[in-house]
This record gives sequence, C-alpha cells and structure tokens, in this order.
Amino acid sequence: MTDTTTRPSASGETEYVPQDGKLLEVEDLHVEFHTADGVAKAINGVSFDLHQGESLAILGESGSGKSVTAQAIMGILDMPPAVIPGGHIRYCGQDLLTMPEEQRRKTRGPEVSMIFQDALSALNPVFPVGWQIAEMFRIHRDMNKSDALEQAVRLMERVQIPGAKDRVKAYPHQFSGGMRQRIMIAVAIALDPAVLIADEPTTALDVTVQAQIMSLLEELQEERQMGLILITHDLGVVADVADRIAVMYAGRLVEKADVHDLYASPAHPYTRGLLESIPRLDQKGQTLAAIGGLPPNLMRIPDGCAFNPRCRMAQDRCRTEVPELREVAPGRLSACHFAEEVIDA
Amino acid sequence: MGTYIVRRILQMIPVLIGSTFLIFIMVFALPGDPLAGKCGERPCPPAYAAAFKEKYNLNDPWYVQYVKYGANLAQGDFGETYNGISVAEQLKDRYPVTVKLGVMALIFEGVIGVVAGVLTGIRKGGFLDNVVLISTLVVISIPIFVIGGVAQYFLGVKWGIFPVTVTSGEATVYQLLLPAIVLGSLSIAYVARLTRTNLAENLRSDYVRTAISKGLTKRRAYGLHALRNSLIPVVTFMGYDFGALLGGAIVTESIFNIPGIGNYIFRSIRARDGASVVGAVTILVLVYLVVNLVVDLLYGLLDPRISHD
Repeated sequence: MTDTTTRPSASGETEYVPQDGKLLEVEDLHVEFHTADGVAKAINGVSFDLHQGESLAILGESGSGKSVTAQAIMGILDMPPAVIPGGHIRYCGQDLLTMPEEQRRKTRGPEVSMIFQDALSALNPVFPVGWQIAEMFRIHRDMNKSDALEQAVRLMERVQIPGAKDRVKAYPHQFSGGMRQRIMIAVAIALDPAVLIADEPTTALDVTVQAQIMSLLEELQEERQMGLILITHDLGVVADVADRIAVMYAGRLVEKADVHDLYASPAHPYTRGLLESIPRLDQKGQTLAAIGGLPPNLMRIPDGCAFNPRCRMAQDRCRTEVPELREVAPGRLSACHFAEEVIDA
Repeated sequence: MGTYIVRRILQMIPVLIGSTFLIFIMVFALPGDPLAGKCGERPCPPAYAAAFKEKYNLNDPWYVQYVKYGANLAQGDFGETYNGISVAEQLKDRYPVTVKLGVMALIFEGVIGVVAGVLTGIRKGGFLDNVVLISTLVVISIPIFVIGGVAQYFLGVKWGIFPVTVTSGEATVYQLLLPAIVLGSLSIAYVARLTRTNLAENLRSDYVRTAISKGLTKRRAYGLHALRNSLIPVVTFMGYDFGALLGGAIVTESIFNIPGIGNYIFRSIRARDGASVVGAVTILVLVYLVVNLVVDLLYGLLDPRISHD
C-alpha cells in the first residue's frame, strides 16, 4: 500500500541505529515542577528500556507521572516550570537530554513521535488536516506542496479514513472523534518513526471506537516494527496490545512485568488494587473493590513506600524504608517489600 | 453564504431607517431658527421667508419633513444646506480625507500593535513586556484630545518633526502622519494587548505542543501555528475598529484641522445645519454596517469553525 517503510537517512546528518535492538533507554529519570507553592516531584528515578517492535504499556492513575515521562522523552515539557535534575534518555545510544536542541528537534517526527489524548485540541483548528499531515514531509523531507499532500492522502488511506482524497482539505472539527484520532496517528507515523508514544490515545473516545483505534495502532506497529509506548490508565486497553507493562505510582515504577504474568498474579499491592477495581460481570451486586484514599500530593510524597497510606498490607517497614525495584521472579520486577507474598496471594 | 449576505443586507434597512430617524428628530429638537441672521441685522422679508420655508419644508410637521427627507435620501438626494450648498458634494470632498486618515491609523495599529504584542506575548514577564504594558496603560488612560494636543505641541510646534496642521483642502499622507498615529494610539494599545494575551495563551495550547512534537522549529510552531490562531480576534477587532475610526475622528480632525467628515459634522452641529448632520451620519452608519458585514465574513474565512450557512 504505502512505500514509506523504507527509511532514508532523511537529512543525511545523524543516523540512528538501535544497539542490541534497544531503541530507547530511560535511566534514573527525575522530573520536578518548580511552582510558587513548592517543588512537585513528578518523576523520581524511572528506568526502562524499549526494544524494536516491542509494546510497553505504562499504567497508572492521574498524577502518577506517566504522561510526564512521555513528555520528557519527547522533549515537550514546559521548562520552566519543569526541571530535569537527573537521568538519561538515550535513543539508539545517544542521550536526548544532552543533545543540541536543533539535533533533537530533527528526531521528533522521523525517529520519535507522539499521539495525544484529545485530537480535537491537539490538531490545529485553522489548518486543513491534509496540510497538517503534509507539514511533516515539507519540514523534514523538503518535499514540495503537492507531493507532500499526495503523501498525506496515502497516509489518510492507510489509517482508514473513508474518502481520504475528498477530505484532505477538511478541517479537524469536521471529523468525528475517532477519525480525528486517526488523523493524529497519520501525523505521528508519517515519517515512519522508530518509537511511537501514545498518550492515552483512546481515553476521549467511546468504547467501540476505542477498539478500532487500538487495533489500528497494533496493526501499524506490527507492519512497521515500531517500538510502542502506550500510556494509559485503562487496564482493558492494555491487555490486547502490550507485551510488557510498567506500573507507575507517585513518579516511580512499582512493577514491571510481562502482560500475562501481571494479569495472572500482580507482584505489587497497588497493581492488585487496580486489577480488583475492574468491574466484573460475575461479581454483580457486590461492592466494587476500589483502592481507598487518594494518590499522594507530589509535593509531600509519604516517607518509605509512597503507597503505604493506602496499602492494606503496610507494615512499619513500609513507612520508613523505600522499597527498591527488584527482581522478584524471573522477568518480573516489583518495588514492594512483600512482593513475594503478594504474588502468592 | 449567499443567503447569509442577502439576509444581512436586508437587516441593514431597518437599522438605517431607524438611525436616520433618530438623528433627524434630534437635529429637529435643537433650538434656534434657521432664518436668524440670514438677512443681516433685519428680519427677512416675508416673501423670502415664505419661499425659504417652502423650499426646506419648514412649514410641515416634523414627521412629514422626515418622510420627505427620507424619500429624497432613498433616491440618493442628500439635499442642500441652508446656504444652498449640495450636501452630497460636501461629503464627496471630505470622505476621502477621513478614509485616508482611517486607513493610515489602521496600518499603524496593525503593524505596531501586532509587533509589540508578539514580542511581549512570547516573552511574558520580560523587560519589554513591562515597557509595553505600562506604555499601553498610559495611552489607554489618557483622553485622545490630551494626547493629540501634547503630540501636536511637542512633535509639531516645538520640534518641528511633523506638520502642525493640515493646510490644504487635500490632506497629504505626510500631513496626516501625526494625526493618524494619534488617532490610532488607543487602538495600538488594545491591539498590542489583545495580541499578547492571545499569543501567550495559544503558546500553551495542545496544538502548539503537537507542533513541537512534530519536529517543527520554535519559530514555525509559534510564528505560524500559534500566531495564526492568535490573530483571529485581533483582525476582527481591527475590522470593527476601522468603522469606529471613520466615525470617531471628530476630535482628531478638529485638533489638526483636517477637512474630513468628523470636522464637517462638528461644524454642522454648531451651525444647526440639519441636512448636513443627518446626511453625514447616515453615511457613517452605512459604512459601519458594511464594515461589520465584511468583518463577519472575514471571520468565517479566518476561522474555519465559523460557518455562515
């Protein structure tokens, strides 16, 4: 269908080759927001890798730092107020955080790309959708207007927008929510990026459309062997698409596991709480098991394990000693002092 | 779109009739006798007075006068002043001057206002931002006749940078420079603040974040994506303001002795010259209505989310 899968070294300046299949390495990342009220520690030492063709889901409540992680990778945090006091984000071995801004800019789009939650506000209301897709080719590939627009039509066809040719000149508000998100996806995959970050791509959509968008993402990821980072709070969305899941709480990774292991037996009380809070048909009539309490204020993260005030298993140790993220079973990491007991439970 | 324009034009008719009517009765209510002083120190001869009253329909009740005036106006006849000068001729001479002044003021307001707004909007809270905020506050707080008088005294009389007044019947661009800046000064301040606020807000919008994540340069993301959206309300404001500039130049035109429409209305009111006042104001109302329509259509072009269908 499309022949955009061959990847020319666009500007011929920097070539990015994955090392041992590793596309992205996030290492001990910290992000703080310096506000008038104080310092909010949004991310406190997050590390993970992303391999070619892998789907990693980052799961967490609002304020857990999952979106901030994505924005830090993309380099679109508002700095200030955001500050990155430590950590590395390496793309194909090169640290994006220390890279000159102009070089980093050129990675956005052809190398790393992002889909946002609300496509209506994420697309510019005053430009036609075709123009907004074509802009990628015009800026990064120096393509002329008509060639770029032709590519835009092909991409719109690829993301299954009916009547793509007639709709390139339409504006974002003239599309339905699902179609807009498809256009957002078309923009993001235009230059065939190696890493695609999807920040709650289906949260603003209704359920039937959610499934369509997720299967489109899955299909595109397989076709182009992209590394996909899927940020969501929706456990249902994750199950089908993700290979691995990283669970975030108060700016830390609390559990990282293969998707099947995690669903079968969570290794962190927080993950277990999340899974138990999914409404199930066979438990009709019973009270829904919600996690008690609220996520912590990021300006005053509790001592010890950040989850301890809400944790049913919390002991004295949890209130003083920060649990390290450690391997608790083959291929499974958990940041809980009692992870083994949680798995067995 | 076509039906929208037709509907809008039809809506203008009652507005036009209503406004001419209001102005007409207001002028009618002014005290004074048009015949006073017509014939020197003595009262006019009865024959002349009768002929005069007949010619200007002064014997009719006011509503008959209005209907007669309106009927003539509908045929494009603006009537004559009590001195027997055609009002239409007067308007034809004076309108171009006011339009020239208004266009020049609009250019100043657009160029200076938008540039100041962009520079301050991008660096909110910076030194330049404070300079512009304070200076626009000063301009907004001071009445235009003070700004006009002060500018005329210093820039014209004392330092001789600009001509002090307009001396010829046809005002030149050079002579109108200072008046146009004075006339536009208030709007420059508003345009600068409007641009600044909108741009600063749009810089934080989701689509600008998308633009950055698409790998666009900051220049393009801000200068094209954010600015294009920020200018929608600015252009709309300037459109409406153009209508106001054409009508609101009375003070500026008096200060600088500009032979424009404002000056004409001012003098006609003092001379109780009803035909001139009503004629000139009718044209102003018409211009204002047309400008409003054009701005509304322009708004639809600038913002695709607005539909006139």
